[in-house]
Amino acid sequence: QKPPPPARGRPGRSAQTPPTRRKVEGPGTPWGPDGAGAGGRPRRRRSQKQLEVKVAELVQFLLIKDQKKMPVKRTELLRHVVGDYKDVFPDLLRLAAQRLEYVFGYRLVELEPKSSTYVLVNTLEPVEEDAEVRGDQGTPGAGLLMIVLGLIFMRGHTIKETEVWDFLRRLGVHPTKRHSVFGDPKKLITEDFVRQRYLEYRRLPHTDPVDYELQWGPRTNLETTKMKVLKFVAKIHNQDPKDWPVQYCEALADEAARARPQPGVPAPSS
Amino acid sequence: VPSSMQCGTRRMGVMTDVHRRFLQLLMTHGVLEEQAVKRLQKHCYKVHDCNATVEKLEDFINNINSVLESLCIEVKKGVTEDDGRPIYALVNLATTSVSKMASDFAENELDLFRKALELIIDSESGFASSTNILNLVDQLKGKKMRKKEAEQVLQKFVQNKWLIEKEGEFTLHSRAILEMEQYIRATYPDSVKMCNICHSLLIQGQSCETCGIRMHLPCVAKYFRSSSEPRCPHCNDCWPHEIPEIFNPEKEREAGTSSSNKKSLRSRQH
Ligand SMILES: [Zn+2]
Ligand SMILES: [Zn+2]
Repeated sequence: QKPPPPARGRPGRSAQTPPTRRKVEGPGTPWGPDGAGAGGRPRRRRSQKQLEVKVAELVQFLLIKDQKKMPVKRTELLRHVVGDYKDVFPDLLRLAAQRLEYVFGYRLVELEPKSSTYVLVNTLEPVEEDAEVRGDQGTPGAGLLMIVLGLIFMRGHTIKETEVWDFLRRLGVHPTKRHSVFGDPKKLITEDFVRQRYLEYRRLPHTDPVDYELQWGPRTNLETTKMKVLKFVAKIHNQDPKDWPVQYCEALADEAARARPQPGVPAPSS
Repeated sequence: VPSSMQCGTRRMGVMTDVHRRFLQLLMTHGVLEEQAVKRLQKHCYKVHDCNATVEKLEDFINNINSVLESLCIEVKKGVTEDDGRPIYALVNLATTSVSKMASDFAENELDLFRKALELIIDSESGFASSTNILNLVDQLKGKKMRKKEAEQVLQKFVQNKWLIEKEGEFTLHSRAILEMEQYIRATYPDSVKMCNICHSLLIQGQSCETCGIRMHLPCVAKYFRSSSEPRCPHCNDCWPHEIPEIFNPEKEREAGTSSSNKKSLRSRQH
């Protein structure tokens, strides 16, 4: 599963090291000695060091955005990081993805096919003590998100916003009241989680007063599974996942589909 | 290990999930004291490799840094400027457009930080009063900011560990010094102060009243550890300040908790 460790003896900062060319998968290295790319297009010569710095900047940028759980658009990467290295962008991004996974355990994934929007998915399972070691409550919203995802799944993939608040009010979370842990819960659910692409939020037509519906966003299926959400719901209700046969069957089918070989990490479209 | 593998360039370490989880958790924290880092390391071994012996922290971090080097990222060790507690932070070394702060703060907020930074650097004590910082809000770039808002932004800088507040005055957090030393030295070459002992950036410390050289408080404590009559290392005049008491891991262990050390250095000398 894991990518092989990178080749040893890659040039670091020491000047006397002869530049070992890095192995790049696929045809044509972006910085081949002949200065020509895969398509035979002539490419500007750039030093190994310059390209390495670009990869490093991509990695740093993606890590910083991930701290806020913000998906990153290809155009943002081009504008803020890549600059006039556009011609080798797919190669740079692939190398950045390799480094992110090997060094940090984050997989770079395109949110939806052809969306040109990327998120990092953690390859390490979170464990409960992580938060304890950090000495904080981790991301306080994560629990609330799981509750909303659970509600949506149990209602058959779509739920009205009013129904969400009817449920949350019973837990002491109100749309209009500041919450000690979640801050502004209305903003968290209908803006932050939506922008982070965990949830879809759509206005329902012909509703008076106006109502909205919530669904799972594309990121949710990347970071969690139906089974995990169902188990979470079962745990809160102190029941067994099998007590909800419809959802349980669907979760099982989802697990089976995931176990089948997938096309893998979508290649960044250039 | 065959010697050929090590020749020329520094040997690159191998990453495992233990290292990856460690990096992920260190990153969410920004900065941690040494004790917490050791706890974190132990935790990561427990999750992934409970039978392995926990590597010495220094070796563990050196291994990680050998891999991070090509990404211009480093787990950097420093000490707090006031009482010399060892701390660790994950730091971006490349001075590029990619900045951790830029993604967290708006333009006017970043400018407020810059203004505070300039006041801190220009000050004799290494501290800038909130009054002096707030007096500059009218000159900020970007959206207009009220004093009340500026006060909240300053608190956000404290929460995010970029500034420290003591009795209404602000100084740089050691994490900010680790992260920004290169930037500060390059941007304010004429006003930065350096430590006569360790030759790195100095924000708060003591200075010789005769020749004007400066020393970090932990450097002062170490330098004069065994001298009954402290003299300036540069001009040999009497050192006119009290020798500060700093963090001592042995004492800390005896005391059991860190509570006993809190009293150290409430007073500030320049
Ligand atoms: Zn010093
Ligand atoms: Zn002197």
